[in-house]
Amino acid sequence: MVISEAVRERIEAAKARFPQPRGALLAALHLVQEELGHIPPEAEREVADLFGLRPVEVHEVVSFYNMFHSESGGRHRVYVCTNLPCSLRGARTLLRHLESHLGIRCGQTTPDGRITLGHEECLGACAYAPMMRVDRTYHEDLDPERAVRILDELE
Amino acid sequence: MPRITVDGRDYEVPEGRTLLQALDDLGVLMNGVEIPHYCWHPKLSIDGSCRLCQVEIEGQPKLQIACNTPVQDGMVVYTRTERVRRAREGVMELLLVNHPLDCPICDQAGECKLQDYAFEYGVPRSRTREPRRALKKRVDLGPTIVFDQERCILCRRCVRFCREVPGTGELGVFGRGDRSVVDVFPGEELRNDYSMNVADICPVGALTTRDFRFRIRVWFLKEIPGVCTGCSRGCNIHLGTAYNRVYRYTPRRNDEVNETWICDEGRLSYKAIGAPDRIREPWLRSARGVLEPATESDALGRAADRIRTAAEAHGPGVVAALASPHATNEDLFVLRRLLAALGTEVHGMAVPRGRGDEILLREERAPNVAGGRALGFGEAEPVLDRIRGGGVSVLLVLGHDLLDPRYEGALDALRRCESVILLDTHHSELERAAEIVLPVRHAAEKLGTFTNFAGRVQRIEPAVEPPFLALSDGETLHRLGRTLGLAGFAGVYDVRAISRAIGSEFPAFAGRDVDAVGPLGLPLAGDPA
Ligand code: SF4
Ligand code: SF4
Ligand code: FES
Ligand code: FES
Repeated sequence: MVISEAVRERIEAAKARFPQPRGALLAALHLVQEELGHIPPEAEREVADLFGLRPVEVHEVVSFYNMFHSESGGRHRVYVCTNLPCSLRGARTLLRHLESHLGIRCGQTTPDGRITLGHEECLGACAYAPMMRVDRTYHEDLDPERAVRILDELE
Repeated sequence: MPRITVDGRDYEVPEGRTLLQALDDLGVLMNGVEIPHYCWHPKLSIDGSCRLCQVEIEGQPKLQIACNTPVQDGMVVYTRTERVRRAREGVMELLLVNHPLDCPICDQAGECKLQDYAFEYGVPRSRTREPRRALKKRVDLGPTIVFDQERCILCRRCVRFCREVPGTGELGVFGRGDRSVVDVFPGEELRNDYSMNVADICPVGALTTRDFRFRIRVWFLKEIPGVCTGCSRGCNIHLGTAYNRVYRYTPRRNDEVNETWICDEGRLSYKAIGAPDRIREPWLRSARGVLEPATESDALGRAADRIRTAAEAHGPGVVAALASPHATNEDLFVLRRLLAALGTEVHGMAVPRGRGDEILLREERAPNVAGGRALGFGEAEPVLDRIRGGGVSVLLVLGHDLLDPRYEGALDALRRCESVILLDTHHSELERAAEIVLPVRHAAEKLGTFTNFAGRVQRIEPAVEPPFLALSDGETLHRLGRTLGLAGFAGVYDVRAISRAIGSEFPAFAGRDVDAVGPLGLPLAGDPA
């Protein structure tokens, strides 16, 4: 078992809050990812068991949403929004700058396992473009220098 | 029942169905009313994802998808307007944005709905300059199916099939939007008893069977209607033939029997037709005790001799027969007549068995068990017992069904007979006990009927000619009767006349001859099943 007893209990509690228990699937996946850092196939199987679904159905959901990760990553996940408004405000340059600063390409993890860099579609903060998400925190109105400083401060 | 109008024609349709379903129920969909569709399949749940089936409905401002729009009384539908044509054109353009130009190397070419509708509604030029999506070209989804991700149009038919028919649900659509791909759960494979049906329902060349892939261009194939011989379900099939060879079996729709499916085992059973172990000539056991090739007349002559001598010495009761549920109703009827003319009533039928399931596959692994029973052939055991007791001198055996583990020791029992006359398609252990072996035709090589487990009489017809001299069991037995000089066995064998004659002796078969049952078969008369 890769999902702990504590998380299982929280998943059961979440299921109880929905008219159809299956409605709690996203909540459950968030809980699992919080615990494991990502959602490996074994975890998908276990979630499927908890919900009476097929593992393949859980994998459909996990692969559908950008915020769920099937693969393990660095200690921090950094996502630069590259959708249209952010791109118009320099998101691509920002991303390239971060790539060369970290010495990795978008989609890769630094060798020390500190940061996984990625890009995202619109995160709903267009008014403060360009922006990036570091784990669960939004950083807005970015310029390359400030973004680098934020990354450098990460453990 | 609601009445609807489609392109100016009135139809009375069943209640509670969607437009496509209702038209399909009436048998007019793609057969008078052309509404192209990819994701909808008559035997799967509705998906509504491809949008190709859009039609115009009076009073509705927007086009509606016919697959998921419930019929309503008074509904007026148009399927051929300019708006509809433009919508189809748009859908086709989107589907083709990422489709590779693979037709020259694609197995589906020639029977591809994407090709057909691109030809009908496609725009001849591409308006995009972006590179097409590059994906995996050869994914081994499991032991039977090879998948080309680039060709997939994401109709989800295969996904729904696996969830809804075998219930195994191996496939899913992963990712989102233009990055979606069909695949199996990481580390698993597509493996179930019905897996190859996904290749039939895939409207494009994305899913192909490992067995048929790259074997032949489909436009060289002639598709002959027939019946699978794998079990007593008798699934309706097409035999894809070319150059006097059968290249594949594919399901043929018959809602009363197999809907639109066949099992993998049955599908691959075509391999037996052209197998190297076919019996290609008559064989006779020589004075030295070995089987040697012989002419048909020598073999029939020896068989007639044995039968005559035994019957004269001990009475006709020492002549017995074991019928095969692989033989047609006609073959078995001739056997009955032969036994009656000889005056013996010692007969039975060996039925091979296997694992059955709740879907199609039946335990009785032969196509004509019910036919044999209806024609009066009982169990094989009493005959075997009689042989063991020394009561049978000459035994006629059709087929090698006796080799089923259920009849353990049958081969030893057969050795107790003075003479075993074997009519069979394939070489087998059984020959060790045989004195006379006559080659016969496979179901793919003859005209006749089988009666499936539910009592449905279904027609088979010759799809190929055996590349050696062999007759059907019925005709071989007819010639044996003629050699014996039996009444009613003179002249040329006429399988059609035999087929009609069954009905006069067995009323359940009246009006169920090869020419009367039609492509979908008919239930036995007076048989509620
Ligand atoms: S593989 Fe074929 S059947 Fe399956 S979703 Fe793709 S196009 Fe449809
Ligand atoms: S279920 Fe029986 S008849 Fe149907 S395809 Fe399989 S073996 Fe053939
Ligand atoms: S486009 Fe970047 S947040 Fe909306
Ligand atoms: S057939 Fe109706 S949307 Fe696909």
